[in-house]
Amino acid sequence: MTMMVMIASVTAQAENDDYPYLTFETADGAKTSISTASLTINIQDGKLKAGSMELTIADLSKMYFSTSDETTGIEEVTTTTLDETADIYDLQGRKVTKDQMRRGIYVVKTKSGIRKVRVK
Amino acid sequence: MKKLKTLIAALVLTIAAGAQTLNVQVGSVTYQFPAAQTGEMTYTNGETLTIMGKAFTISDISSITVNDTKVTNNLVSIAYSGMSATVTVAGNVAQYVTPTVSGAYVSIAQSNTDAVDEDEITYQLSGTSTDGQFALSGTYKCTLSLAGIDLTCTTGAAISITNGKRIQLSAKKNTTNALSDCTNGSQKACVYSKGQLQIQGNGTLNVMGNTKHAIKSGDYISIKNLTLNITGAVSDGINCEEYLLIKSGTVTISGVGDDGIQCDLGGDSSTGEILADEAKGIEAHDDEDSGNVYIEGGTINITCTAAAAKGIKCDGDMQISSGDITVKTTGNGKWDSDDAETKAASGLSCDGNMTVSGGSLTLASSGSGGKGMKCDGVMTISDGTVTVVTSGGLYYNNGTTENTNYTSDTDRISSNYYSSPKGIKAGVKKQSGNSYTYAGGMVISGGTISVTTSGRNGEGIESKNYLNITSGHVTVNAYDDAINSAQDMTIEGGYVYAHATNNDGIDANGNCYIKGGVIYAVGSSSPEVAIDANSEERKKLYITGGTIVAVGGLESGASISGGTCKYTSSWTASSWYALYNGNDLALAFQTPAKSSSGGGGGPWGGGGPGGGGGSSQQLVVYTSSTPNLQSGVTVSDGMEYFGGMANIGGTVSGGSSVTLSTYSGGNSGHSY
Repeated sequence: MTMMVMIASVTAQAENDDYPYLTFETADGAKTSISTASLTINIQDGKLKAGSMELTIADLSKMYFSTSDETTGIEEVTTTTLDETADIYDLQGRKVTKDQMRRGIYVVKTKSGIRKVRVK
Repeated sequence: MKKLKTLIAALVLTIAAGAQTLNVQVGSVTYQFPAAQTGEMTYTNGETLTIMGKAFTISDISSITVNDTKVTNNLVSIAYSGMSATVTVAGNVAQYVTPTVSGAYVSIAQSNTDAVDEDEITYQLSGTSTDGQFALSGTYKCTLSLAGIDLTCTTGAAISITNGKRIQLSAKKNTTNALSDCTNGSQKACVYSKGQLQIQGNGTLNVMGNTKHAIKSGDYISIKNLTLNITGAVSDGINCEEYLLIKSGTVTISGVGDDGIQCDLGGDSSTGEILADEAKGIEAHDDEDSGNVYIEGGTINITCTAAAAKGIKCDGDMQISSGDITVKTTGNGKWDSDDAETKAASGLSCDGNMTVSGGSLTLASSGSGGKGMKCDGVMTISDGTVTVVTSGGLYYNNGTTENTNYTSDTDRISSNYYSSPKGIKAGVKKQSGNSYTYAGGMVISGGTISVTTSGRNGEGIESKNYLNITSGHVTVNAYDDAINSAQDMTIEGGYVYAHATNNDGIDANGNCYIKGGVIYAVGSSSPEVAIDANSEERKKLYITGGTIVAVGGLESGASISGGTCKYTSSWTASSWYALYNGNDLALAFQTPAKSSSGGGGGPWGGGGPGGGGGSSQQLVVYTSSTPNLQSGVTVSDGMEYFGGMANIGGTVSGGSSVTLSTYSGGNSGHSY
């Protein structure tokens, strides 16, 4: 019986080892978490590319698996920001329109660069 | 309870490994890091990514993915497919493993010097390639698991391991694996290991050596469990140094150009066998360099066809304690220009001592000069079954002229120029001027031994020094001396049958002491005798006990005590006689089909009583009391001895009493 309890305990522990995010941290401490679901990262032109996400490798200091989204430096959505937006992607890499944006985190590609934004 | 713990441990490992995995692909190599193990993965200067101690040059990385692939710690998988191969490395050993892949040529440098996570690295090979290789270098022991690999290399060895540490080469259960190397290469073997090689597993491994050996280790080799087939080799089937140990499994060797198995001394001097010493923390064979061969079990089948090839050969001792060993050699002798002497084939051969304490040995040699088993040291047979058949003739070669069926007298030619076929040979006799030195010898203290030689000069059992028989069943049918010793021979027990068709049955070139046992000796025609001692050099036959039947008489001047010796010169060939010790039946025996090599008439054979070829050869009998002999008896029940030539414990009926004369002399036989 004790053994069975131990097995159940171990099983539960293992299930808790799932990491929904792979978090990247730059030298200045900024973090970007991306979903680990079916994640494929390609390396090209000094950047890590995962779907629409691009990270400049030279800026990175480390990465690690995380159980929560630890993304920092997320900007508030403003009309101006969205007006400048060329493309919007959710964290699964799906392209969405401004109207389709709901609560959550999106990758917004603008003329001035790529940013991660949170919709409240 | 133990099983349950094992199950839980396995479950924990499976669960842990079954979680998310970060895969880093570099060309044909994928490194798999379990998410739970990775911790922080660091980037340095935008050029290097380090994960679990493994530093990647980022520009070399093809992709990074995350999936649910299960990772088995310490495992490196190499999958061959046609002209390419892929390598998968478990994250926990990634920092210690540097693979290089070019087509299907996989080379791995392993850098750990100690266990990783309390275990060693396992390289698992699978798939098929007609032009590939697996090469491994390193400084720590590891396992090479063959999981259904069919690998042919066209430029070198199929497996080349320059790691000098212990390597386990394991054929995975229910898999068949085939390895073949290139022809005319520079490699030492199809499977080469610089270090200790433990060949095992519950699968099958087939190896073909197209340049030299099939399997070679620069250190010891041990074999257990697996089915190992050496399907061919230009040189030896298995070649190793230090020692060879076969514990179990099935080893079949054929198609080899030299010896089936050869074990050489690694260094200049032997450590001898290293025995376990628990108090000192020493395990058996630790740091042993003996050149010894140990066979403790398994089924071994070896066929050698090359000239002077040996089935199993070693520089040191050979110890056989169990197993089923069959060796067939067919090659003739050959001239060895280095040693300036002839060499001959042999089923088993060692430079040291040979010990048989169990198992079953079936040895057949058909080439000229071929032998069943031989050693330069002491041969001891204490148990087991040994069956030897040689059929080759006398081999002659003086370096310029070869004769594979030499029929001339060898008395006046150098012993370097000829090799006589022999069933069992032990010890060494060396000549220096007019004197001789003797080394080694032979002891039979048990077992069942059957030797048959039919080729010219074929002695059955020969010791080049002393020969002692204390127990066991010994049956010899030989062309030449059936049982011969260069020095003293002592028989004090056992059941001994020694039948020579062209020389002495039992021939001691020193003194011959018979103190006990049941002995049935048959010599050929005079001057050969049934039991001989070297009276020419003032040696003597001493009989003090036992039960003896000697067809062909005894060496003259024999000292007989402790019983009574009688004889008859009128006996019938191929007829059953009963020998009584007083009134007690000692044994029943069948007389030889003919009494001498002449047979069919003439002074020594044929035309005698019974019409089956009588003889004037003496039939001598000795028992501890008074021997009585009945001729023409019928025997039932009891137990057969000497290949059916005797019966002990049976019931005798019929027959008639033989008139015996008191033995007081004997022939003066030749002691060669």
